[in-house]
Amino acid sequence: MNIEALKDFEIIGCEGTDKNVISRPTITYWQDAWRRLKKNKIAITSILVLIALAVLVIIGPTMRHYDYISIKAAEKNTAPNAKYWFGTDNLGRDLYARTWLGARVSMTVALVCTAIQILIGSIYGGTMAYLGGRTDDVMMRIIEFMTSMPSLLVTILVMLVLGNNMFALLIALSVTSWCETARQMRGLILQLKTSEYVLAARALGASPKRIIIKHLIPNTLGILILITASSIPTYIFTEAGLSFLGMGLQPPDISLGILISFGQQSMDFYPYQLFYPALILCITVLAFNLLGDGLRDALDPRLRQ
Amino acid sequence: MLKYVIKKLITMLITLFVIATATFFILAAVPGDALTERVEKLPAQTRMNLYKKYGLDKPLMERYVITMVGLFKGDFGESILYPGQTVNKIIKEKLPASARLGLQQMIVGISVGMVLGIIAVMKKGTYIEYIILIVAVLFISVPHLVFGLGLQKIFAGTLRWFPVIGWPKGSQVWFGGWKYTVLPTLTGCFVYIASYSRLLKTSMLDVINQDYILTAQSKGLSESQIMRKHVLRNSFIPIMTTLPMSVAMSITGSFFIERIFAIPGLGMYYVTAVNGRDLPIILGESVIIATLYIVVVFLTDILYTVIDPRIRTNASKSMVD
Repeated sequence: MNIEALKDFEIIGCEGTDKNVISRPTITYWQDAWRRLKKNKIAITSILVLIALAVLVIIGPTMRHYDYISIKAAEKNTAPNAKYWFGTDNLGRDLYARTWLGARVSMTVALVCTAIQILIGSIYGGTMAYLGGRTDDVMMRIIEFMTSMPSLLVTILVMLVLGNNMFALLIALSVTSWCETARQMRGLILQLKTSEYVLAARALGASPKRIIIKHLIPNTLGILILITASSIPTYIFTEAGLSFLGMGLQPPDISLGILISFGQQSMDFYPYQLFYPALILCITVLAFNLLGDGLRDALDPRLRQ
Repeated sequence: MLKYVIKKLITMLITLFVIATATFFILAAVPGDALTERVEKLPAQTRMNLYKKYGLDKPLMERYVITMVGLFKGDFGESILYPGQTVNKIIKEKLPASARLGLQQMIVGISVGMVLGIIAVMKKGTYIEYIILIVAVLFISVPHLVFGLGLQKIFAGTLRWFPVIGWPKGSQVWFGGWKYTVLPTLTGCFVYIASYSRLLKTSMLDVINQDYILTAQSKGLSESQIMRKHVLRNSFIPIMTTLPMSVAMSITGSFFIERIFAIPGLGMYYVTAVNGRDLPIILGESVIIATLYIVVVFLTDILYTVIDPRIRTNASKSMVD
């Protein structure tokens, strides 16, 4: 065909050609999740409460110029007032500073244990799913043994061996908890590995590294966030319970559990000594639970009801 | 199926053996024992005799073999903290209190929780649903430690409706003496109410979205028929899997409640035993609780295949994993 022939054709309009262009900005999964979370008033309130708690936990122990340890014999068991916002305990120590310091310890324990649980759980679970076969079997048996023992007993036994210190508590609380995470991760990764889009990616020649970074990690992140949100309250509970039984941290260390245990001894006469630590404990756990519910709705639209 | 059961049974026994062994050596690694404090001021000969009495003078491996043989025969030895009492006797005395507390909590908690869950689904979108959900989250967020102390303060301390502490004794161990059991049962049962209402609600909504419910609706079944025959039946499956965890939880979870209300159960004894390094009691109770736990899990596995025929078809394959 020559140039002369082309002249016979003319362009009569190309208005319709951009019909298939995507005009709205593409929204990633995370942007979408954040959009859903923002709409959830309860979840946003929980986030604000948690931020407030975090700030108070950091500055609370020192903001009132009364430290948590100095004993004032003249001001024993004073009820909450302008000077001591949460009152004082049976040795005249400022309960405001003590409560926030206790909350700091409890939260630190919960956060560190959750981090250990997630880290070990996902590495272990990922290894199981990745290697498969005999190794998978053996590693699964180990998990079965670990989980067939009631976890509170294991925790108590570990505390018994390692003693009542912070390090022992962290180990004792996370020694069995990673098993469930590992199991979940294994199931999830096995499921992802055989999914169509991973197959498609592999068919297109994606390297294992790319598949792990682009597909496996983003798709497991949602579940991991949910596990995190639901694990933190559990750890706060267990720590408080253990300390209450006298098997967690021990005075002079303080945590919410220890404060509650002190509060119980004098709850008939000075109920505020029990009330404030218990209240902070409940608010913290409630905020984490509500945020967890909100995250579940935001991250997993299929579960949204 | 039979092959599967036998295989599970053998795994169970091995697990128990490993648990007992692990517990024994963990305890052996703890510095100091129950006698350390007691013999401190005694003359050397008496000290030796005491150690001999409890077999603590023998080398570790020999003690291990003796303990294991004892366990195999169902004899856990003699308590060190409470001289003259065998662990078997202590467990026999203390188990009923813990078991009754756990059972009462579970019966009240799970039945109320499931009813609330069903109501929440039936009244979906109304304020009744929101109230149930809010109450459930509140109950899950208040640890039973705090909850128990609060109940004790209000109903036993201020109102004096119920005794502050204590537990029915003697012939009333299983029945009677209800006023003692009300507060501890209430304390424990709210966890079940909260978790089971949420669980049942989620699983019911999951089932309602299934295709076979649509089929049932298009066949013209009434709402209540669909509820009873399809929704409820299918949504009980996740409940069955959580049940063994609850049974195990009801024993160890009651540790705190037993402490608050001074109930002479396994938990109280366990805590005292751990603080006093009373190895026979710790070992005995650990093995008993682990056994209960494993047996319940085993029973659920079996139950599972009975309830859900979809699992039965490839039982031997899928359940091993």
